[in-house]
Amino acid sequence: MSDAEHPGDAEAHDHHDHEHDHGVEGPGYATPQAAIEESERERTAYVMGLHVGTDVNAPDFLAVVDVDPDSDTYGDIVNRLEMPNRGDELHHFGWNACSSSCHMEGLERQHLVIPGQRSSRIHVVDTAERREPEFETVIEPEEVFEHDLSAPHTVHCIPDGEILISMLGDAEGELPGGFLELNDDFEVEGRLDSPGDIEMNYDFWYQPRQNVMLSTEWAAPKTYYPGFDLEDVENGNYGQRLNFWDWERGEVEQTIDLGEEGLIPLEARFLHTPESTHGYVGAALSSNIIHFWEEADRYMAEPVIEFEDREHEGWDMPVPALPTDILISMDDRYLFGSNWLHGEVWMYDISDPSNPRKADSISIGGYFGDIQEVQGRELVAGPQMLQLSLDGERLYWTTSLYSSWDDQFFPEEAENGSVMCKADVNPRRGTLTLDEDFLVDFGELPEGPARAHEIRWPDGDCTSDVWQ
Amino acid sequence: MAESAYRVALTWRSGREATLSVELEETVLDAAEDAGLGLPFGCRTGACATCTARVLSGTVTHQRPPRALKPRHLDQGYALACIATPTSDCELEVGADVADDLVDNPWK
Repeated sequence: MSDAEHPGDAEAHDHHDHEHDHGVEGPGYATPQAAIEESERERTAYVMGLHVGTDVNAPDFLAVVDVDPDSDTYGDIVNRLEMPNRGDELHHFGWNACSSSCHMEGLERQHLVIPGQRSSRIHVVDTAERREPEFETVIEPEEVFEHDLSAPHTVHCIPDGEILISMLGDAEGELPGGFLELNDDFEVEGRLDSPGDIEMNYDFWYQPRQNVMLSTEWAAPKTYYPGFDLEDVENGNYGQRLNFWDWERGEVEQTIDLGEEGLIPLEARFLHTPESTHGYVGAALSSNIIHFWEEADRYMAEPVIEFEDREHEGWDMPVPALPTDILISMDDRYLFGSNWLHGEVWMYDISDPSNPRKADSISIGGYFGDIQEVQGRELVAGPQMLQLSLDGERLYWTTSLYSSWDDQFFPEEAENGSVMCKADVNPRRGTLTLDEDFLVDFGELPEGPARAHEIRWPDGDCTSDVWQ
Repeated sequence: MAESAYRVALTWRSGREATLSVELEETVLDAAEDAGLGLPFGCRTGACATCTARVLSGTVTHQRPPRALKPRHLDQGYALACIATPTSDCELEVGADVADDLVDNPWK
């Protein structure tokens, strides 16, 4: 898309000119460093907003949030695209194209693919007018169930214009999960895996130059949907494995059982540089950050950051930190993460990937955060979904994990709604500073309070783009 | 249609009350949606428990296995409105907070 196609849209999609060796202009950026150099500051954020699982009689929505500090509506939800149905549980979402399709002339980063985690409905939204998103098409649950899959989670575009979605369950909400493919017309193409290649599924990331994909494990939908039952951990119903795939063949090559050190491995992040086999996974329940890397054609994994449980006055058991999200800065210098239960957002120097070094953290929200309100607004839950500006100078987060789990651990989140917060990052000094002038309140919407989950920028971000 | 339908009294913990007529083979959720009552729901397949209700009197049957509910939940009278159809006149506790009964904070 060129600006000329949308002369009236001051914020039309930038065309990141990058004549590189392919000699064509596709979406995204030639390299991670090009993303830092060529991107402008984010002015619009897309955020998943939820009413599912409350008595608010309204659908979930895509929130358009103004993050332009020069705007009169800075920090406001300036538009919302309501889903056609209630009950979706919008959660993670992704683009039809990213830097991995840099060679695909004519392909544009224009369509958001927004799954309903509970409904198994998949929405495709056109963001040509980036603050006026519109539905392109909706894939109904029945089309998903036909492939004996349900519970869509992570969306990544793959280099030929297709879209891959991790699916956590079969059509009944039981195991095994798998991967659903959409074609570039947003039609269900089929299933990548053979049923049973993996049992549990959750997040995935691929590193095409290394011909590898990594998928992680939450649990069967019927296990995690209703909430967290410790009995399910004791019965082995939660995940603890990393599944490494041969990317081109779409087959699992190696599975690493992390054992008790790696219970509930969630977000999977490779370093952005396409040469690297290094990356991290947050094992939420064990509260460890797992470093993985390839050595002699085998992947290795070990915990490199371990968060200690904390005693809560008057409670039965020490509380785990629950690091539910991690991300890597575009320059591969810092790993950021959120400890949702304890209430902490942190940054570690990963310039030596095997030996992360704590740079800074903010104690905020959750059970133990030093800061419990911003602008007089009570925060309730700890930091959860993170997003970092492409230049690595601004970290944003929301506070909802999952509707039923929120109700279990931070029941006030349903009544108050979520917030979106921001910290300024100094990537030269390794510091994080809460920006108290910024607060997006999802508790003040006309239909009632809403939860807020994943955040994305229109021009790509630190958790969307992959390089070939 | 009276002879082919059951009367289902709904109560919310907020004190709200409503009465539904649910036809044979019809789910409580479908009947509530037709009546514009806006009960919570998610997967509509019995896997997610977002629509959990509690049977206070009378009986319901599930049209497919209620996978989201464990035996202890079924023993306590919980049912899934998205796949439950009444087999007698009944009284159901509904609303988003009923599903919160299914799990506790294990650390607290």
